[in-house]
Amino acid sequence: MRSPHPTGGWPARLAIARRDLLEFIRDRRALFITLVMPMAMYPLLALSSTLGIRTAIFELDRRAESQRLDFVFSGTNAEPLAIRIGMLAEREEGKPEGWPETITARVVDPQSAQSLIDEGAADAWIDVPGGSLSKLDGAGTLPLEVRLSTVRPPDRRVKENVLAVMRGLADEARLARLRRAGLPASLIEPLRVNFSGDVPQGSAAAVRDILPAVTAAVLVLLALLTATGAFYPAIDAIAGEKERGTIETLLIAPCPMFDVVTGKFLAVFAVTLATLVANAISIVLTSTVLGRFLPGGFASGLRAGDLAACGLLTLIAYAGLAAVASALCLTVTAAAKSAKEAQNTLTPVVMLIAALAGVALVPGVEGRLWLPAVPFAGHVAVAKSMLSTFGGWGHGSQTVDDAAPQFSLGLPVALAISVVSSVALTWLLLAVTAQIVANEEILFRGPEEATRGFRRPPHRVVPTVWQGCGAVALGLAALWYAQGLAPGEFVPALIVQQAVAVLLPLLAVAWWQRVDARHTFAIRLPGGSWPRAGAALAGAALLGGGLFVVGAAVALAAWRGEVSPEARRFADQIVDLIQRGPTWATVLALAVMPAVCEELFFRGWALSAFVGSRPTRRRAAVAVVAQAAAFAAFHLLPERMPQTFVMGLVLGGLVLATGSILPAIVAHAAHNATPVLLVAAASPEELDSLSRSTPGLPPWSVGVALGCLVGGAALLALARYRRLPEPDGT
Amino acid sequence: MIEVRDLVKEYRAGSGKAVRAVDGVSFHVADGEMVGLLGGNGAGKTTTMRIVATLLAPTSGMARVAGYDVRTDPIGVRRSLGYVSATTGVPDRLSPHEVLDSFGRLHGIDRRLLADRIASLTASLDLVGFLDRPCGRLSSGQRQRVSLARALVHDPPALVLDEPTSTLDVVGARDLFAMLQSLRAEGRTILVSTHRLHEIEHRCDRFVIIDAGRIVASGSRAELVAERSGGLEEAFFATIGGGAA
Repeated sequence: MRSPHPTGGWPARLAIARRDLLEFIRDRRALFITLVMPMAMYPLLALSSTLGIRTAIFELDRRAESQRLDFVFSGTNAEPLAIRIGMLAEREEGKPEGWPETITARVVDPQSAQSLIDEGAADAWIDVPGGSLSKLDGAGTLPLEVRLSTVRPPDRRVKENVLAVMRGLADEARLARLRRAGLPASLIEPLRVNFSGDVPQGSAAAVRDILPAVTAAVLVLLALLTATGAFYPAIDAIAGEKERGTIETLLIAPCPMFDVVTGKFLAVFAVTLATLVANAISIVLTSTVLGRFLPGGFASGLRAGDLAACGLLTLIAYAGLAAVASALCLTVTAAAKSAKEAQNTLTPVVMLIAALAGVALVPGVEGRLWLPAVPFAGHVAVAKSMLSTFGGWGHGSQTVDDAAPQFSLGLPVALAISVVSSVALTWLLLAVTAQIVANEEILFRGPEEATRGFRRPPHRVVPTVWQGCGAVALGLAALWYAQGLAPGEFVPALIVQQAVAVLLPLLAVAWWQRVDARHTFAIRLPGGSWPRAGAALAGAALLGGGLFVVGAAVALAAWRGEVSPEARRFADQIVDLIQRGPTWATVLALAVMPAVCEELFFRGWALSAFVGSRPTRRRAAVAVVAQAAAFAAFHLLPERMPQTFVMGLVLGGLVLATGSILPAIVAHAAHNATPVLLVAAASPEELDSLSRSTPGLPPWSVGVALGCLVGGAALLALARYRRLPEPDGT
Repeated sequence: MIEVRDLVKEYRAGSGKAVRAVDGVSFHVADGEMVGLLGGNGAGKTTTMRIVATLLAPTSGMARVAGYDVRTDPIGVRRSLGYVSATTGVPDRLSPHEVLDSFGRLHGIDRRLLADRIASLTASLDLVGFLDRPCGRLSSGQRQRVSLARALVHDPPALVLDEPTSTLDVVGARDLFAMLQSLRAEGRTILVSTHRLHEIEHRCDRFVIIDAGRIVASGSRAELVAERSGGLEEAFFATIGGGAA
């Protein structure tokens, strides 16, 4: 009876897939949530959003139709100004763009004008003092204060209407002045633009222009909902089998673990694809119905045939997404002991997918060659590009076509990259899943292990790699909040940033893990004696100072004077701070505080975590690069990242070479203090001349810096440092 | 048929220390023999059986089934072995027929042969009356019979059963052991663990008693109860050093 043929391979994979699918199909509740819910969700979403869209369109139309401006004037010259505006309004030509259809002007005393504005009976009140008209007609500038009604909700249209009227007045005055000076009117109109062809008109066309943004949002939503289709079957596939006690009997099947996992993947993938199809059908149907409820201009872009084509194109682009999502869900739930535990592990997956899918919507990344290779982001970008290029729903809307992200090597190549990268990533994830499932400590661990992550772990000498990554992730998240919530002043903002993004995560993880602080943070005297330590610290100071100058020279040469406004503002803030405050306080804030906090975080916690308790040369090298990359990422500004990355490498190497964090702190502080001291020492004239001249450092300063680097290295070598003793445990 | 020699299995406990669950266990089960693996909870029975079934890798030592080594040829072992775990391992939402069909396909059995095999198994294990009913609606005894049928679907020469009677009542346990006896009569090799010593003592050819990961006694019932009054249960308690219940 035993098979004469080798077992495993596709027959075994398909047998497992069939078995899992049968089980899933019979779970009616999961089936309903996965496949039927989307069919009900989109109509509900559309119904609520349609009401909002219709209201917005009607409001826009109403405003467009009733472009009316109610002026009230007061003051000695109120009447002549009102008459002049009235004459302008009656003219057929020469009115500036945005001129309101109807203008009413009332001339009253200031008290009445105030009452009218307060009651909302007028849009704008202008007090026109005596001599205003002569100033307008003369050669001066007439200052006018326009008070808008505070009773009505703020309306951009009122301000635009007032500005249009004022532009009309100003144009007329300008022309009169030119005439008096004997100059032609064309002097102030060097260019006139006339549009022809299919010029977008009306609010419905304007609303239709939001279609690319709506499509992008729907594509991200579709990515998330497609991925959620993988949730139930993935939970059921491995964690569910563990919970039900059926996994053992499956794992003794005569086929490799990869075949078992692939079979399970096929079942999850089938359900995810079915979810994608259900979602796509629901979106197409909902959009078709939606088109009937929206104004004609909007609805004309939503033809049923085009929408069906769009649905098909999305399915092609999203098949890879369904595969990656299925494999990812299997991977993250593979280690779970129960369905409940598996559900918890899927929450970060939702965040990951949302974040990656959102990358496709970031301005500037559209059309980049690498984008299709990024999971979820690439799928959304390719789908968006396909819809824009072939979907045809952009008829009559130039904005839609313009917004189509064009990949540099063409859409077929982008789609091919997306498919190949999806297949490769899926395969990789399945291989990882097979490793996880085959791990007997995970497979047979007790239920108490499920909550191990929330218990304080036993004492360790140095943190684990995961704890290092966790601290960096925590710090980056804290930095994000610190950027948004920190005070506007530079120094308080810096203190908040260091406290929230560096110290708090560090204290939290250090308290949680109970590591050996001396080993983790390399707290020891470099060289083992005070004279050697002195040489090492002096060398580190020279290294840090030299590194700043050389780094700045290289950066300035690379940028050729072109820096982002953020980088320019950052530099201005620092110079301003140096010029205003006492030098010692600035050094403390900009050099000492960040040096201590960031070194403990990156060269202390992160480096020791990445190096581990049993370091090898290769692992140490990887660790130095990893912590330097994290250090660069912390500095947010792209212009600063290369320099901070190199600095991270040097400081990481310094800690590993000396076995102490103190040289790294001193080098970091010297690096940051160098510009402070240089600016403080420079005269205002020197600073002014430096800012006006071509960016770059004098050659002599680079020479001195290189000398500092060589001298620092020599002093560090002289210190004859000793390595930190190897820790004797984990 | 089943050979275990100097088998050692160490786990890493939560504290990071290594815990030896199986410590130098050696025994063999000859062709057509039925051997009972006895021991208290945590004695190392399940770990030993999981190693034999290739679910766990031994830390050291050797285990072979039908000449296939669990380390070097786990697929060969799995083809030669039927395994029944303490939990029946039967999916609730599948029918017995679907369970047998899917496992038969996994073993690469030809469809026609598989249909014949399922028919013969369901008849011999008395599954015909509920062959298309979801397993979740079956009684514990019925589920255990489905599990046994599943383990036999590829007609393996050896069977490993880890506490197959733990969820069964007295009648179910008696029926199961009767089935095992008939399977042994067919020439199959059986290694079974159970806590129901009085039900197994006259059915197995030999017994291996394991305690704290080590074999503390082995032999036939007659050898184990020799020089002691009472049956296998008394001999078992005397061997592992516990008092008789």
